[in-house]
Amino acid sequence: MTTKSVALPPTKPRRAKRDLFPVFVGLITGAVLVLLLVYPIGKALLSSFVQQGDALAIENLTLANFGRFITSPLYKSALLNSIVVALATTALATLLALPAAYAMARVKMPFKNLLMSLSVIPLIAPPFIGAYSWVLLLGRRGIVTVFLQENLGITLPSIFGPFGIILALSLSYFPFVFLIVQGALAAADPYIEESAAIAGAKGWRILRTITFPLVAPSIASGALVVFIRALGNVGVPSVLGGDYYVLPTLILFQVEGFFNLNGAAAIAVVNVLLVLAFLLIVRRFSGKKRYVTLTGTTQRSKQNDSLGARVFANAYVWGLMALALVPQAMVVFSSFAERWAGSLLPTRYGLGNYRLILGNVLEPIINSVWLAGVATLLALAFGTLTAYVSLRRRFPGKWLLDLTIMLPFVLPGIVTGVAYLTTFNSGPIVLTGTAVLLVFGYFVRRLAYAFRSVSASIGQVDPQLEEASTICGATWGRTMRRVTLPLIAPGMLAGGILVFSTLIGELSVTIMLFSGKTKTVSIAIFEYLTSHRIAPASAMGTVVIVITLLLVFLASRLLGKSMAEMFR
Amino acid sequence: MHDGRLGVAGLTKVFQTKEGPVVAVDDVHLDVAAGEFFSLLGPSGCGKTTTLRMIAGLESSTSGSITFGGRDLAPLPSAARNLGMVFQSYALFPHLTVLENAAYGLRVRRTPDSHTRERVMRLLDVLGLGGLHGRYPSDLSGGQQQRVSIARALAYEPDMFLLDEPLANLDAKLRVQMREEIRRIQKELGVLALYVTHDQEEAMSVSDRLGIFNRGRLMQVGAPTEIYRNPTSLFVADFIGKINFFPAVFEAGGSARLAGDWSVAPATIHPLGADEAESFKLGSKGVVAVRPEHLRLQRNHDGAVGIPGRVRRKLFLGSVTRYFVTCDASLSEVIVETPRPIDEVGEGDGVNLSFDGTDGLGYTRGARP
Repeated sequence: MTTKSVALPPTKPRRAKRDLFPVFVGLITGAVLVLLLVYPIGKALLSSFVQQGDALAIENLTLANFGRFITSPLYKSALLNSIVVALATTALATLLALPAAYAMARVKMPFKNLLMSLSVIPLIAPPFIGAYSWVLLLGRRGIVTVFLQENLGITLPSIFGPFGIILALSLSYFPFVFLIVQGALAAADPYIEESAAIAGAKGWRILRTITFPLVAPSIASGALVVFIRALGNVGVPSVLGGDYYVLPTLILFQVEGFFNLNGAAAIAVVNVLLVLAFLLIVRRFSGKKRYVTLTGTTQRSKQNDSLGARVFANAYVWGLMALALVPQAMVVFSSFAERWAGSLLPTRYGLGNYRLILGNVLEPIINSVWLAGVATLLALAFGTLTAYVSLRRRFPGKWLLDLTIMLPFVLPGIVTGVAYLTTFNSGPIVLTGTAVLLVFGYFVRRLAYAFRSVSASIGQVDPQLEEASTICGATWGRTMRRVTLPLIAPGMLAGGILVFSTLIGELSVTIMLFSGKTKTVSIAIFEYLTSHRIAPASAMGTVVIVITLLLVFLASRLLGKSMAEMFR
Repeated sequence: MHDGRLGVAGLTKVFQTKEGPVVAVDDVHLDVAAGEFFSLLGPSGCGKTTTLRMIAGLESSTSGSITFGGRDLAPLPSAARNLGMVFQSYALFPHLTVLENAAYGLRVRRTPDSHTRERVMRLLDVLGLGGLHGRYPSDLSGGQQQRVSIARALAYEPDMFLLDEPLANLDAKLRVQMREEIRRIQKELGVLALYVTHDQEEAMSVSDRLGIFNRGRLMQVGAPTEIYRNPTSLFVADFIGKINFFPAVFEAGGSARLAGDWSVAPATIHPLGADEAESFKLGSKGVVAVRPEHLRLQRNHDGAVGIPGRVRRKLFLGSVTRYFVTCDASLSEVIVETPRPIDEVGEGDGVNLSFDGTDGLGYTRGARP
């Protein structure tokens, strides 16, 4: 019984049969991530220290490419402009988002679900597609400009330059802050604020000493996303920049104008350094604080229903959403404008623009669909495999896997594009101009999304279900096929649709890697816009907006989640 | 043909944690006969579930062996051990119907469909689930889900039937009903059952034999009556049922001197571990343990023998009357249960406690097992 029996032979320690599955997945993951992420980044980094035309060799290493940030006025101003645009966009987007988030979480309002869904639209529609709308409204002969000038005598600053870029980007990206802060506020334990009130604190004091510190980490992470996006966006400054250059447009200029990949790589490195600097600053202010209480009771927080609060909240939130949806609405509106020249409003409406693009739209759409489709399938398959291993198995070096997969989150798309262009243009693997390169670029850009959404689904599946299947005699493969996959299928499908729909309008990687044969719909729109052919651009833009919105709506139905939840 | 016995020898599990290695299961030996209903009982975190999961192959062992019918299970993965298992959460497949859930193991074994359906439908009928075979688990009550998970575990005639706290999520009334049903089905099928629970009443009522776990060690194995009547350690005595501990000085002849200068000769004397003596702050003394129903109460008067105390509370419970007696010579408040209330003893009265030596269980250091 409990006493050790001397008669028994000593049992030698037996190693458990080694589970080779994580090793297998680890190797594949490692290989893919090294080939598609670590190697390109490393090579781009290296080539940023070599001048154009020189071979990648130790003796050729130089700081000349970076020196241009001191010697060239264009480089200097682009760096400064990028910092200004990114900081101003982050600040403006955050300032716009916070009152809306607070109002949605704490004030009694009708149609909240509708408002939440509307807030996602600016994130789904690629910002550059709507950017030109601001020219139509606020440009030199824009509707609003003319109205203000003739009736009130007010002159607006030129839409081309920082004003337009910051405006367009802020209104596109504020939902990142809005969604995450609104979620945190809605989930915050209402008792914390109530106990502050019972302790004698008044409204503003509670907001300042309790509520704000509680959601500060959420504000920080939302702002971080906005900063990264604003710093890496190439479409909006291309459309609204004019001769006002920022780092991404400078990269584009170097590549398209001189095919100076080394110079572009150096600019990309500076771009990433800015992201890292901002990341460190944000971490320094909010990194160590983690408030676990945020996901507390199911008790809903008390909603303010005073008349004043409701009037203000409704006016503000509806006003903000209306403003944010102006670009998309304008794209759709102008797509039906057949004649619109020299007048405030179009003089003829019809489907002419759609007839105009009919011959040209099919090929880019087919390209976009199959490139995005293949990349989505790859990201989904790979994301599922890694998410499964990361959640279900223990193995050394797991943190490294999670970290590497999430890496593209902080790399602006154009940086990935530059890295791929430099890496696969020469050397052992040459893929420049091929569809494969675009698929790889899309895959790496969206792997983190797929990984995250599948992880969330697997997290919902009780591991005991898999154990129960095993006990019943099922092999690992059968358990996966019959139990795990069917249960996470809706999550995978929704994640896949999300990835796919955001790839349809993808511009920053595409613009670096496309070729004549792989021209996508986003490139087609971009080319129309930069050559000021607004009519076909808006018709094609409308097609993209409608397709992506429908897909995301479908995904949210499939998952039984609201559209807003899918982006939080 | 093998004998269908489960043999566990020297089974040990060491978890590596950040604070260093933790021994979850410590050198466990078990021998369970074919068709036996055996329970692993103990407080939470005592290693009983880990033991079950090692037998199931869901957890690897650090050392030791597990055999079934003389065959070593170590090289067999969980799926090849031919086990049936009921989980605490039932772990029903939410995307499969009741029939598909119950038939899962047979499908895996590639049993012909017609045969599978017939078997499973009959089993569902036996379990009172007839007519529910097309439903999904989410449409069922907790008790029905429990039955489906039993059907899934037994449909393919497993060699062992493992149950991990299967009744923990049911309400009290259903628990009593289900445990009787589980035992009935187990006996009908004659399958060896291993049942993990922390509920001693449950374990005592369903098991042929049970093993009591504490801190990873198997403290005692025996039939319920044997464990109740003759617990070999203070832990088991304290864990199973109610019991009173009286510190006592053991003398050479086997008699124990208690407070009130009163001596008895306990029927059995078990060794007392040094750690147990320390945790009960006994010093060099031993303990005589007595069940509440074996204690006699007498109003304190001149010449009365026994341990002195004072009745704090008298509780009439119908079938028994329970007295809580404050007593300096006991490790905690003494509980006495009599079939009939004693009229002359009331709350606040001084009393003397006594018992027959044959009802006393002695524990002292240095005693021979």
